[in-house]
Amino acid sequence: MEKLRKLFVSMLLMALIIAAVSPAAVYAADSKTDNGDMRLVYANVPDDWKNPCLWAWNEAGDQAYEAWPGEAMTPDSNNKGWYYIYAPSWADHIIVNANAGETQTSEIVLKDGNTWVTVKDKDNAETVTEQQTKGNLPKYEETFKIHVKVDDSWKEPNLWAWSAPDGKNAFDKWPGVALMSGEKWYTGKAPTWVNSIIVNANGGDVKTEDISVDPAELWLTVDKDGKYDLSYVDPEKASVPNITVRVKAPSDWKSPNLWAWSAPDGTNAFASWPGETLEEKDGWLTKEVPGWVNSIIVNGNNGDVQTQDISVDAGKDVWVVVTSADKNQVYYEEPKDAEATSTSETVDEETDKPDTSKKQSKTTPVIPITVVVIIAVAVICIVVVARKKKNKA
Amino acid sequence: MTKKIISLILSATVAVSTILTGCSGASGGPSSKASDPNTIVIWHDKEDAVADVLKKQLDTLSPDINIKLEKKTDLTESLKMVGDDPKSAPDMYIFAHDKIGVYAEMGILAPITDIIPKKDLTAYMDKTIEAATYKGEIYQLPIYYETLLFMYNRLYMKDEDVPKTTEELYKYMQSHTSGGHYGFVEQHSTPYYAAGWINGFGGQILDDNGKPHLNSEQVENALSYHKKFVKMMPGETEYSTVNTLFSEGMAHSTIAGPWMVPTVKEKGMDVGVAAMPTINETGTPIAPYMGVQGVQVLKNAAKNKTKAVKKVLEVLMKPEVEVELANASGCAPANESCYDLDDIKNDEVVMMMKQTADNAVPMPNLPEMDVMWTVLGDLLTDVNMSGEDIKTSADKAQQKAESLIKSMQ
Repeated sequence: MEKLRKLFVSMLLMALIIAAVSPAAVYAADSKTDNGDMRLVYANVPDDWKNPCLWAWNEAGDQAYEAWPGEAMTPDSNNKGWYYIYAPSWADHIIVNANAGETQTSEIVLKDGNTWVTVKDKDNAETVTEQQTKGNLPKYEETFKIHVKVDDSWKEPNLWAWSAPDGKNAFDKWPGVALMSGEKWYTGKAPTWVNSIIVNANGGDVKTEDISVDPAELWLTVDKDGKYDLSYVDPEKASVPNITVRVKAPSDWKSPNLWAWSAPDGTNAFASWPGETLEEKDGWLTKEVPGWVNSIIVNGNNGDVQTQDISVDAGKDVWVVVTSADKNQVYYEEPKDAEATSTSETVDEETDKPDTSKKQSKTTPVIPITVVVIIAVAVICIVVVARKKKNKA
Repeated sequence: MTKKIISLILSATVAVSTILTGCSGASGGPSSKASDPNTIVIWHDKEDAVADVLKKQLDTLSPDINIKLEKKTDLTESLKMVGDDPKSAPDMYIFAHDKIGVYAEMGILAPITDIIPKKDLTAYMDKTIEAATYKGEIYQLPIYYETLLFMYNRLYMKDEDVPKTTEELYKYMQSHTSGGHYGFVEQHSTPYYAAGWINGFGGQILDDNGKPHLNSEQVENALSYHKKFVKMMPGETEYSTVNTLFSEGMAHSTIAGPWMVPTVKEKGMDVGVAAMPTINETGTPIAPYMGVQGVQVLKNAAKNKTKAVKKVLEVLMKPEVEVELANASGCAPANESCYDLDDIKNDEVVMMMKQTADNAVPMPNLPEMDVMWTVLGDLLTDVNMSGEDIKTSADKAQQKAESLIKSMQ
């Protein structure tokens, strides 16, 4: 049970960290729902409606997609003029839009089931649930998002994707599907069975080499020569300014050092343990560290004594009052009268031992209670004896 | 006057201490210990799913025998404090085997064979009985066991790509570790996890006589070989980090306990379990420690409640109890006969634990092991995270271990 409790706490903590660093760094799918929770939305749009997207929400205001204009719809090669997308079934209010959100229908309220929307113009859209397209309906496939930043010379970038080594292509023909323009990144998506991609532009004239990828949300920065950096963590969120860590350490901790890293990826701020020396400044032991740091250890005596892992918010200056190896308090504003003598937060000690006795237990504080009761009884005794003596006198 | 006050304070102290002790049953919290020979108090530290099965099975002894199953989060420390006090100690406890040596040396445990015939234990897997044995005596009735497993996320690692050897694993890591994703992660500097590599090299952390072997050739070879894998993992590899990397889809594969499986399945992961890769250098698979969960009997109960204790043990020896535990919480049965049953044969995780157990090494149950976790942890940190020389670090760790063990005697 201790393992499970520990697992639960760890998961909760790490989930929060991951959510802060990379909100979409989960498996792959842009929706975790299966086919039963999804509906097919088809749209037939006018010729001048380029790259149509779907924006969807429900009556309560829950949005199916992160930001306008929503998710790009996929052209149906068997039905010219028709685009489709699988959207969450609960999102029964939609807007079909195009041209990077510049053109859109009015709000459309859906009935249950798959839907075909015929858009005549922005003010006229007809919606039916009877199939309007020919042939079999496309199967639902989980997808993952691909964010791309390209050199300015790369115009109208596209995504080409396939599965290696079998060579199954995700899109009908080269150069693939157009990436949707966003504020900073172009965005596209590919089925989770894809493990290889190429980003191309200028009608396919410029392109990257074959890029092996995991089917998980990723960020690709491509230069004019097609060289690229691949990251499964949003680089925009990773590049945050340095923060300052200020520490009060117990007086018997000689030459306190700071060890700092990013969890869960484990990137260390310093080359080797015990880290770098904290320097006295304005009454605090101070060290500047990269803004992505979200975990620290304060140690002293050349690393012989140390705190447990201390989780801190990435990107925020932090004040840490360390009372002992097991006790510390974290602040995000300078605390008044902070001395390393008291604390309201206790960090449980975890050791490497695998058995269930490895954690310091949180039991009823019998010893403090005992001490208090003993002192109280003793005081009563003293008073009684003193009164008796006084009476005798 | 002064003497009188001191005397009163001492009296009050004794009185209050007695009252508090009487109320709380020592620091472990209230005890419902009963002197009734037909009431059996059993301490445990198990999750609800396991406790529920145990309770249901043991309640079949009612009304003849009244079972009080009490959960103790600080079971080991409480036992150290009250284990020799019949008024506060339980009659039996359910826990991993690795503390048997500590309590046997304290003189609070009765050999299980004082109550049930040794021949009745032949149904159990040899390694579980080996784990339960300390200085020639069997102190635990095994119920189930745990080993670490090789796990992989099928979204990234296809079944046919699962590495069968450590060199295949290394190549996989090389081609799949980039951009914040990892081909493989493990708690590389945590002794319980690193032990699998050391055991796979034929090394021993502690021998059967309680002597450490941290600077043996095998241990140094294991540390040296393992290091190239460590270089492709995050520097920080404590429990939360590694498990989160895997469960959040940032790592393709890991070595973790079976308790990880339900967690990642809940998150929607198609998780696979596979045999541990074989270490190319030795031809032996990574051999993790094995923890055997079972019931121990305290000496006082063995002597004064023999009949009731025997009944309890007989219930816990039924294969159906272990099958039910496997179904409820993925516990791998200690009784060999369970593996002939469809319920067990169809459980991928349990069967993989059985396979892994063939090479697993029971965690040492000697008291000396208590100091080895920290010393080995320091050695792993020195080698894997601080880049210190392996031989120098291993020699230093060996000296420290010997010194600490000496101070225990």
